[in-house]
Amino acid sequence: MANNRMLIGFFVASESIFFIMLILAYINFHVHGPFDGPSARSSLNPIITGIFSLFLLASSFTIWLAGRSLKKKNHFMLKFWTLITILLGATFIFGQGLEWFGLIKKDIWLPRNVFATTFFTLTGFHGFHVCVGLIMLSILLGLALAGDFKGPRSDGVEVVSIYWHFVDGVWIVVFSVIYLWAFL
Amino acid sequence: MEKLGGIFNASSPEMAAMAGLTFYMLAIAIAILAIIVVAVAYIIIRYRKRPGDDGEPRQDFGSIRVEIIWTVVPAIIVAVLFFLTVKTMLAVDPPKGDRKPDIIIIGHQWWWELYYPNSGVLTANEVHLPVGEKWLARLESVDVIHDFWVPELFRKIDLIPGHPNHIWLVAGKPGTFLGACAEFCGAQHANMRIRVIAQTREEFDAWEKEQLRIPKTPTSGEAAKGGKIFLTEACMNCHTVRGTAAAARVGPDLTHLNTRETIGAGVLMNTSENLKKWLSNPQAYKPSSLMPNMKLSDDEVNQIVAYLGALK
Amino acid sequence: MSRVPLVPENIEPLPRIGESEGLVTWIGSIDHKQIGIMYVIATLVFFLIGGLEALLMRIQLMQPSNEFLSPEAFNQLFTMHGTTMIFFVVMPFLIGVGVYLVPLMIGARDMAFPRLNALSFWLFVFGGLLLYYSFFTQSGAPEVGWFAYAPLSEKPFSLNKGPTYWALGLLATGIGSIASGLNNIVTILTLRTPGMTLRRVPLFVWMILVTSFLLIFVIPIISAAFAMLLLDRLLGATFFTPASGGSAILYQHFFWGFGHPEVYILILPAFGIISEVIPVFSRKPIYGYEFVAGSTVAIGLLSLAVWAHHMFAVGLGNVVNAYFSLASMLIAIPTGVKVLNWVATMWGGKIRFATPMLFAVTFLIEFVVGGLSGVAIASAPIDWQATDSYFIVAHFHYVLFGGSLFAIFAGVYYWFPKFTGRMLSECLGKWHFWLTLIGFNLTFLVQHLLGLVGMPRRVYTYPDLPYWGIMNLISTIGAIVLAISVIIFVWNVIVSLRHGKAAGDNPWNAWTLEWATTSPPPVYDFELVPPVRGRRPLWDLAHPDVPDEKQLENRRGS
Repeated sequence: MANNRMLIGFFVASESIFFIMLILAYINFHVHGPFDGPSARSSLNPIITGIFSLFLLASSFTIWLAGRSLKKKNHFMLKFWTLITILLGATFIFGQGLEWFGLIKKDIWLPRNVFATTFFTLTGFHGFHVCVGLIMLSILLGLALAGDFKGPRSDGVEVVSIYWHFVDGVWIVVFSVIYLWAFL
Repeated sequence: MEKLGGIFNASSPEMAAMAGLTFYMLAIAIAILAIIVVAVAYIIIRYRKRPGDDGEPRQDFGSIRVEIIWTVVPAIIVAVLFFLTVKTMLAVDPPKGDRKPDIIIIGHQWWWELYYPNSGVLTANEVHLPVGEKWLARLESVDVIHDFWVPELFRKIDLIPGHPNHIWLVAGKPGTFLGACAEFCGAQHANMRIRVIAQTREEFDAWEKEQLRIPKTPTSGEAAKGGKIFLTEACMNCHTVRGTAAAARVGPDLTHLNTRETIGAGVLMNTSENLKKWLSNPQAYKPSSLMPNMKLSDDEVNQIVAYLGALK
Repeated sequence: MSRVPLVPENIEPLPRIGESEGLVTWIGSIDHKQIGIMYVIATLVFFLIGGLEALLMRIQLMQPSNEFLSPEAFNQLFTMHGTTMIFFVVMPFLIGVGVYLVPLMIGARDMAFPRLNALSFWLFVFGGLLLYYSFFTQSGAPEVGWFAYAPLSEKPFSLNKGPTYWALGLLATGIGSIASGLNNIVTILTLRTPGMTLRRVPLFVWMILVTSFLLIFVIPIISAAFAMLLLDRLLGATFFTPASGGSAILYQHFFWGFGHPEVYILILPAFGIISEVIPVFSRKPIYGYEFVAGSTVAIGLLSLAVWAHHMFAVGLGNVVNAYFSLASMLIAIPTGVKVLNWVATMWGGKIRFATPMLFAVTFLIEFVVGGLSGVAIASAPIDWQATDSYFIVAHFHYVLFGGSLFAIFAGVYYWFPKFTGRMLSECLGKWHFWLTLIGFNLTFLVQHLLGLVGMPRRVYTYPDLPYWGIMNLISTIGAIVLAISVIIFVWNVIVSLRHGKAAGDNPWNAWTLEWATTSPPPVYDFELVPPVRGRRPLWDLAHPDVPDEKQLENRRGS
């Protein structure tokens, strides 16, 4: 029988390498001497981004709660927690959008300098992975509303949860490298 | 029988060290290859299936002892090779210390800009070097990655925009040594060639003096007409001729072009016939090079050739 | 008592399960055998195109200052030839035969994720089409070499769209390859038939397993590099443009961080093919199974730690150079162990020289030549002369052609009967073999010398220096001989598909599970999977008195 959990596990390992390379690029330019133009310190707001990050972290908790509801065959709470997860994730993306928009208005976009290039690439690919996760969660929610996932087990729910936790984990690293490293 | 170049004509102590290591390595490689070839040849003769012999041979699954032996022996060979590698590396490329460069080589698509900071000489494509002296070169690029490779004299080194490199240059004996760019750098990578002319100290000093001399602008005849064309047409937008208003560094410095052996970084030998052909249409000899076809008339071409030849 | 039938009899036969042959069935197939065959056919098409590209280049280089091709045409050809042979021939062929054979070898019915398998194939085709579409655009194919170093591949140095198609096509193919890697890993780890422990799987399966781990961990590296390159080219980002603060060297680290493990991805499954062919044709088990498998794992791990031996001329400093020299030389040891194990397998055997074995035995010699030239250039001072010269071109063709491609030919002749039910012609096979052997060595042996006397690579022409012309001419003659050998090979395939001798289940008297079913296998692969109590289930069945594991035990005991 196909082992879906093994698949998503190795996929997460593989995708982590992709993010590691983007992070290494960011670190490379920030370690190799000063550069002209805007930097993390001068252009980012760690407090606001930190708050939006809490939404994303919370969504990992809520998807875990959804999984527990599934195990307890509580179909209603499964749908509820999945919906909350989507809303929390969407709030995070909204926050990212606000941040990006603010920077672009200040004429800070990819071509500006190596900070802008690596910042937008790293957060952009992460945001893209979050959006893919939101789509998958919406599909789960839709199927659940149509009566699927009565419990107690579902490979589908488990696989999407693992992916969602991965996306969260990546954000913790990205946030540390970009924000904490600049401001602490 | 012509002489093979490259590693077979090592003409500097560094190159001799590298060539020596290469030949040593080749000897080991051939020995190992010979063992395998002889073993395989023996096997395919001795252990060929004979017709009618249909049984299965003894099923041998392996031996830990044999595996250990043929892991340890190669490991020893590797250790020896690594030791020799480090020794040669240090001989060829010792640390630079605080030494300032004696020559600065700047890579362009598709020519070499050469600057001698100690004397101020600025020239192109042909490196003059005093024999036997240990010089430090700094190498950089203004556009893409190039590679400086003169196989009879020096190790290879990349010219990377944003990342200057340094190597030692020593010419072991006088002569002209050929090289080429060895990192694909675009359309005319194949025609970005190098000449190194190793001379005695006296000859080198004389050459430098000649390069530094600012020629008198010719005032009469075809050469003067050529000079006028040079300064009024687009030539001066790219080239320098010292002593005139032409001071651009997009293309090579032409002040003493008439002392160089080649045109276009090695694409043609420097004769007035060839210079005429080049000026009539450089794109015919080095297509995609950055020197456009200036659509000069034959007279104009002759005059410019006369001008450049008169710059002494 | 009336007789009650406990099982109702069939009055009409059950409908046959999905065995129609129409084109739509093939395109929509998720059956690993059909997908495997499609991989093989697609790679053959790309092989012919890539080969033609090479032949055109060799004609241009036949003599100094030749004007057969323009510089642009030549530069596009060497870029496309390298990219095609690596990403659209060797890699997908090996993945494709893996997809066909691995489920059979482990006694499974299909891959763990059949639809993902199909997606991988179609992404590979899409990537190839996207890349080759560039030839038809106004600015043409990319002209930047298969590594597309920055800043040459960036604007303003490459204003044509070629490198964009290149990066996009390879991104698509790469995602497909990651999916293949994931699929292989889950298949091999979870779908083995009972009794087949990991210590009993055929070595080809071991090689595919290690290769799959390499795929899933290193393709993301190049995907990141391509994404950054595309962002630079399309949106003005500054990753690799030194003029705006970027780093050309960063690109090289990323590229070779993928690129070196990639060459092991290209050779390990080929090693797997050799590890299947040599034992069968020597009539002996593989010598030192654990050591061949274990050295593969060692190679996989080491391959991740040697990338900067491609950067010895970049000026990274001698401490860095020394480390990478050492690591690169070390990787020769597990590789050498394998070669010696293959030689030892043949020792004391009863060797039959059918075409698969001809290719397998010469693989050993050719690969050793390539491996030894590789150890030479692992030494930085030697590489300071050899890198970016024809010596490197010679080296990698010996390992990729003399190595991977010879192994691929061995595999084709070995498994064609299983895939199609017919034997390839031995007569045409021998012609193909000898012409390949002669053509290959004529083309590439002399290139070692060309590099050592100073000819750089990627040059559309060269000066008339002593013997350069004649050496290049010899190389071109070899290329023409190779072209003829390929024509004979294709002819062999076409003729044998129509009129080849019927193969039967096990024409080579081999011992692994793919030979325990019909040729070609039914859609469900196996009627019955034989019991697996050792590495060679069919040997055990045929020799119940001396099964493998009993012999192994006896040896250990004595």
